[in-house]
Amino acid sequence: MTPVRIVLADDHTIMRHGLRLVLERQPDFAVVGEANNGREAVDLVILETPDVAVIDIAMPLLNGIEAAKRITEERSKTAVVILSMHSDESYILRALRAGARGYLLKDSAETDLIQAIRAVCAGKAFFSPAVSRVLADDYLRQIQQQGVEDSYELLTARERELLQLIVELKSTKDIANLLGISPRTIDTHRGNLMQKLNVHSIPELILYAVRKGVIS
Amino acid sequence: MKRLLFIGFGGLLLLLAFTGLNALSVLTKIQARNEGIRKDYFNRDRILEQLRSDIYLSGTHVRDLLLERDPNLADTHRKELDDARSRIEANVSAYDRILRGEERDPFEQFTTELKAYFDSLRPALEWNASERRALGYAFMKDTLLPRRMVIVHLADQISAVNQKQMEAGNRQVAVLFADFRRSLIVLLVLTLIGGTLLAGGSIYRILRLERISGQRFDEVEQARGALRHLSTRLIEVQESERRALSRELHDEVGQSLSALLLGLGNVAAVLSPEAGADAKSQLYDLRRLAERTVAIVRDMSLLLRPSMLDDLGLIPAVQWQAREVSRTKNIAVQVRADALPEDIPDEYKTCTYRIVQEALRNIVRHAKAKSVQIHLGQNGHNLLLTIQDDGQGFTPAREKGIGLLGMEERVKHLRGSFQLESAPGTGTLIRVELPLSERDAGVLI
Repeated sequence: MTPVRIVLADDHTIMRHGLRLVLERQPDFAVVGEANNGREAVDLVILETPDVAVIDIAMPLLNGIEAAKRITEERSKTAVVILSMHSDESYILRALRAGARGYLLKDSAETDLIQAIRAVCAGKAFFSPAVSRVLADDYLRQIQQQGVEDSYELLTARERELLQLIVELKSTKDIANLLGISPRTIDTHRGNLMQKLNVHSIPELILYAVRKGVIS
Repeated sequence: MKRLLFIGFGGLLLLLAFTGLNALSVLTKIQARNEGIRKDYFNRDRILEQLRSDIYLSGTHVRDLLLERDPNLADTHRKELDDARSRIEANVSAYDRILRGEERDPFEQFTTELKAYFDSLRPALEWNASERRALGYAFMKDTLLPRRMVIVHLADQISAVNQKQMEAGNRQVAVLFADFRRSLIVLLVLTLIGGTLLAGGSIYRILRLERISGQRFDEVEQARGALRHLSTRLIEVQESERRALSRELHDEVGQSLSALLLGLGNVAAVLSPEAGADAKSQLYDLRRLAERTVAIVRDMSLLLRPSMLDDLGLIPAVQWQAREVSRTKNIAVQVRADALPEDIPDEYKTCTYRIVQEALRNIVRHAKAKSVQIHLGQNGHNLLLTIQDDGQGFTPAREKGIGLLGMEERVKHLRGSFQLESAPGTGTLIRVELPLSERDAGVLI
């Protein structure tokens, strides 16, 4: 079995070392490189093309968001997991827009990192449970306080199915095969779905899914 | 100086009043005097005139008597003469009562001559008709006419004295008037000099006060400018310190604690199964402590200055703040944000964010609001922020706290406009416009 190849980027040596220790306890994980800043991380990923890049959001020279954006542009095969101190959704949306597939809070890294890496390797998105909880709570409160209808209730069964598959980061072709419908029909469904939820991009759709608990 | 001016003005007024009253009384006196002199003169003149005419008449009666042949008619003439005489005597005694020193001599002569005149007439009155015819003419020519002439002449003398007296009286009045004019001129000159001095003193004092108050005003203006500068500086320093502290807490303390947490996890993982439950529970406690500390440090850092403001921009920071309040205070805070220029200067972002923060703090503390609408947008080249709540409102003129003053101060510093609309029962609207330069207003996110 080929090990999962991982690049670690964090400007704190102790943090990086700690993360490495966590990862190395998994026999099928291999840390193939460590970077001290964003620019090093991008270079390293381009050189190594790892399966997963774990990137600290705040780094000197090039911050984690920018690094994630470059990495997804240069090496789409590499899944980016962002490590962050912030649980606010603005940061999460920014990370998703940069192409990150996982968003991990640093203070729960020790418990969640393994799970996150396995999830993104399987092509899924991953968010720290603490983050998902905060987003879901905010969404629920917003609906209650403003007395508006939960837009999720407006979705048809097919649209909900589609939402699930989109946020699991399946390609249009895979979804077409899974549901047995044409890619053009999927485009139409996706358009309706996004209109009903009043979102304008896939990252926003993913964020919505996290709020609704479609992704846990 | 002030007391001197008061005394001066008081004195001047008194002087004016005295001059006026004095003039009035002197004029009245002069008029009365004048009137008295005239009346007196005419009274005397009238008496003298009557005396003169009666004396002439007495002569005429005597002549008529002497020429009369009819004894009855002669009696009539005698009677007329008696009447004239008694009139003369009455007038003489009347004049005697108002006799003046200067007239005494001629008057005494006059009365003596008058007595002599009437005494000289007496024998002729007793004459019968033939005697009268025989002696009458000679009597008239030698006795009556010369004596009558003397008396009338004396009466004229008295009249002349009277005339002189009146003229003397008039001269006295003229002297009095001249005196009065002199004193009036003196008083007026004094008043004029006093008034001029006072006016000079007043002008000097006013100019001095003006100069002093001008200096004071400049000083106050300077102090105000310095104060404004200081408060601006204070805000800047506070902001930069908050930013530095927030960064330090977040990046250094927070990261280190996260690393510590991770390390503790790793230690727990490699702890040999033989290690005591004691060590494990202690490790667990340490992790809980580190977790709590991480949370505290993160909250402190966000409270000082949210990292979103520097990392992601104004809108995410305002949205975060809104979510925080919604989450912890159960107030529905909605943010509507239009596209904003990407390169809003840092102080504008900070100002806007701090106003939102302060406004929400006020709403939480005082407004009893259920919902808040925050709008961020652009109005021409201005950054526009409105914050509307549905709370109980207040009277801005009476209850403007230091927080609102702080907001206004921040906005003024950036040459923006700050409006506050509120009244009891209507909620509160805050509207802020900050002028962005044209360079900043073009590019949109």
